[in-house]
Amino acid sequence: MTEQNEQTNNVMLRLDGLTKKFGNKIVLEGISLAIEKGKTTVVIGPSGCGKTVLIKHLIVLLRPTDGSVFLKNKRIDQLPERELDKIRTHYGFLFQGGALFDSLTVFDNIIFPIQQHGRDIGWKELEELVKTKLALVGMDGFQSYYPANLSGGQKKRVALARAIALNPEVILYDEPTTGLDPIRSDIINELILKLQKELGVTTVVVTHDMTSAYKISDRIIMLHNGRIIADGDADHIRNHPNSVVQQFINGQLSENDLAALRLGGTKFQTQFLPRDFE
Amino acid sequence: MLRFFSEKTVQGVENSGQFARFFAQSLTASARSCLQVKSYSLVWAQMNVIGVHSVPVIMITGAFVGMTLAIQAYDQLAGMGLEEHLGVLINISVVKELGPVLAAVMLAGRVGGALTAELGTMNVTEQIDAVRSMGTDPMRYLVAPRFLACVLLTPFLIIYADLLGILGGFFVSVVQLGINSRAYWQFSAAGVDLWDLSIGVVKGFFFGGAIAAVSCYKGFTCKEGAQGVGQACTEAFVGSFIMILALDFALAVIFKAVYSTIWPTRILLL
Repeated sequence: MTEQNEQTNNVMLRLDGLTKKFGNKIVLEGISLAIEKGKTTVVIGPSGCGKTVLIKHLIVLLRPTDGSVFLKNKRIDQLPERELDKIRTHYGFLFQGGALFDSLTVFDNIIFPIQQHGRDIGWKELEELVKTKLALVGMDGFQSYYPANLSGGQKKRVALARAIALNPEVILYDEPTTGLDPIRSDIINELILKLQKELGVTTVVVTHDMTSAYKISDRIIMLHNGRIIADGDADHIRNHPNSVVQQFINGQLSENDLAALRLGGTKFQTQFLPRDFE
Repeated sequence: MLRFFSEKTVQGVENSGQFARFFAQSLTASARSCLQVKSYSLVWAQMNVIGVHSVPVIMITGAFVGMTLAIQAYDQLAGMGLEEHLGVLINISVVKELGPVLAAVMLAGRVGGALTAELGTMNVTEQIDAVRSMGTDPMRYLVAPRFLACVLLTPFLIIYADLLGILGGFFVSVVQLGINSRAYWQFSAAGVDLWDLSIGVVKGFFFGGAIAAVSCYKGFTCKEGAQGVGQACTEAFVGSFIMILALDFALAVIFKAVYSTIWPTRILLL
């Protein structure tokens, strides 16, 4: 009983039978998942399999068609938006493209959540805070820049500084390394590890970059056609018997698909096409 | 064929419902913003963009409306020897109908298009989701300031359009067509009531609200990609234009009823 309580207390986020439909299209189907406190959980899967939809449910940017979402054992998916606004201050979210506000400078982007939540901080302290957050991601000195003047990797680092501005307990990363070269991808990976270590946050990363997944994960979950088909640590995933998992992690088409492609065929047998494509 | 029409009907009803909900949320968020001093700076910034920057185009619109009316109406009135009444015709048309409607249409193009493009781009680049993810209500942060700025400043912009329309009409009538200035103003003063001026200005609150609501809604529901943003801007302008015309008709009916009921008793009230 005590062990069970301990396990429950150790869970930061929980999805219970989560199903999401857009019109008639089922994107997620009966996902049940418990995410441990202070650990890094990586969700992998082919494009269009519902990874981003899943991560947006964790912060209730999308509401489930069926099932429930819990944060620290409190059900949050049915809360009204005004209450969710308070709940969301426990989260930091790094969007795929950074989603920095174009019309604001780096400094103003980072103070945005602080000002919105009326935390009573003087200007000097605010400057110091921004400096600290930017230094954490190696971007101190860029306070006066506009997002348009930053490279893709720099934008993501600034967006990360903004995501940690309110000292969140959970950081969600949506494809953090997509569109970056290998060196910049590694910088982001190191930052994810550093923040997890230094701030002790619970981390959920959605990616299809296996190098990144192996490097940062405590646990990897693979989604395929809206369902979880593999769940375990990096070694478990590497040695998973399922052929779909092996094809994905090795980035290889099946022999049949290769043959069809070489012959100029268009009807692939691949299991990586989304369901509505079939 | 039947299926196509039934699908379109269902879609139309769904969109109307979504828009009504969005409009109600905009009103609630705007009312809350009025009570929060920290929101004033956001409204102020939007007032500058939406109101101050629109003054030149609105004045140009008004001036051309007045001048064109003078040229068009002169021949008919002169044929009957009533050219000195030209001022009444121009000024009543400008303050009651053409000034407010054309100023609103100009705003729908200038301001509505910009609002939809800005919010649409924020939507497709996930900036609106980013606002929500940081625990801020996008209706309060993004929609309410724009809605309030449009509602509060459209009547003032209509006053500018009216003023330039009147001056434009005067310039063409008196300077170009040689109508007696004193007669022009005397007939105008006798024919144009405070009521006429007021209803034109009051229309501005409704037109401003319609432009902001339609444009913000289209921005928030914009589809992905450059084509999605472009399509949203077109739909926002067409939607705002139709709303302006429909509101103009509805308000004309309402004001006529109000005028015939209340206006004759004003002497007793004053």
